[in-house]
Amino acid sequence: MWRLGSPWEDEAKLADAWRTAVPFPHLVFDDFVAAEQLPELLAILEEEPVDRFDGDIFAFEASAPEPRTEGLRSLRDSFARTLAAPLSRITGKSVRRADMRAYAYRVGHYLLPHADHQEGVGRVLAFAYYLPSPEPPQGGELELFTCLLQSGEIVGTESARLIEPRANRLAVFDVSDVSLHQVREVLGGLRASLAGWFYA
Amino acid sequence: MSTRDEWAATPMPAVVVPAAIGAELAAEVRARLDSVQYTRYALLDRGSYDEVRTPGEPELLAALAGIAGEVTGRTLVVAEARALRLGPGDYLLVRHDRVYEGRPVELMLELSQVSVPGAELHYRHRGQVFFTIASTPGILALVERGPTVMCNHTYVSKRHRNASVVRLMVLLRDADPRARA
Repeated sequence: MWRLGSPWEDEAKLADAWRTAVPFPHLVFDDFVAAEQLPELLAILEEEPVDRFDGDIFAFEASAPEPRTEGLRSLRDSFARTLAAPLSRITGKSVRRADMRAYAYRVGHYLLPHADHQEGVGRVLAFAYYLPSPEPPQGGELELFTCLLQSGEIVGTESARLIEPRANRLAVFDVSDVSLHQVREVLGGLRASLAGWFYA
Repeated sequence: MSTRDEWAATPMPAVVVPAAIGAELAAEVRARLDSVQYTRYALLDRGSYDEVRTPGEPELLAALAGIAGEVTGRTLVVAEARALRLGPGDYLLVRHDRVYEGRPVELMLELSQVSVPGAELHYRHRGQVFFTIASTPGILALVERGPTVMCNHTYVSKRHRNASVVRLMVLLRDADPRARA
């Protein structure tokens, strides 16, 4: 299912892109899954139930933290097997396993600015893979922020990069106290994705 | 059940007083707040909103403290007050709130001209929402801020392009701190 196409061949170039990315390390890969594999991928996800989740920083539909179907479990495990080694080499951060949930952001859904880092949880890298949508989303961009720091405290935040949720695109980004990001409100269509974290 | 009975009946005291301020007076207060000038808060991992930190309005605040006293049965004085204005895309997160000692009472008076769908004030007990106040012009809400109570102002959708939610937030403490001892 998952393939590492030609962009992954030059790991030194990717490592450089990772290190120099602004506002914090991240990479974006388009056409990540072979076109002929997409129907199978979507068929697996059709079976996975999603529920509505609301909190002070989010409103979306998502699958359970642990997949309920064998299909999504295997998809998650093969994703981690395929990507853990090359991402470890490229980012210089050793990762071994990943979790994965399916997300559906419908009109009005959002994920407000936050950093994924939580002490003791072990998240090292975050990822989002955007699925083809029957109605491509308006809005729903992944927005990365620069954090201005004073004595280790965030004293300013500034938008620095927008990543469109384009179908068959994979975004990988660093997890740290200052990797502030959000999913902008979806204003139309459906933003469907697989997302989660890689762990050491 | 009276508002005072309602307040006294629950372990997490929280009540709404509908139509506490008329549209005309609310418009006058909004105009005065505009003239004081709002400042923008934009540490986006905590909140995004406009604020007036010293709203003035001593007569209104005294009247509100009186209403709060009637509902709660406590003699309350204004400890803090500020006005918040949320437009499309704005919010205040729980992590931007703080824990209060001494069980003060928080009062919210909504000064908005029109209601904004989905723009709500949520009060949480140990993280779970136990009291929701929908955007409603003229409404007044009172909540006892016990040590487990936190609040957040929900995200205002950008689909409501002209949304403007104006809330006067007032923290009231016992005139005699020994009253709660």
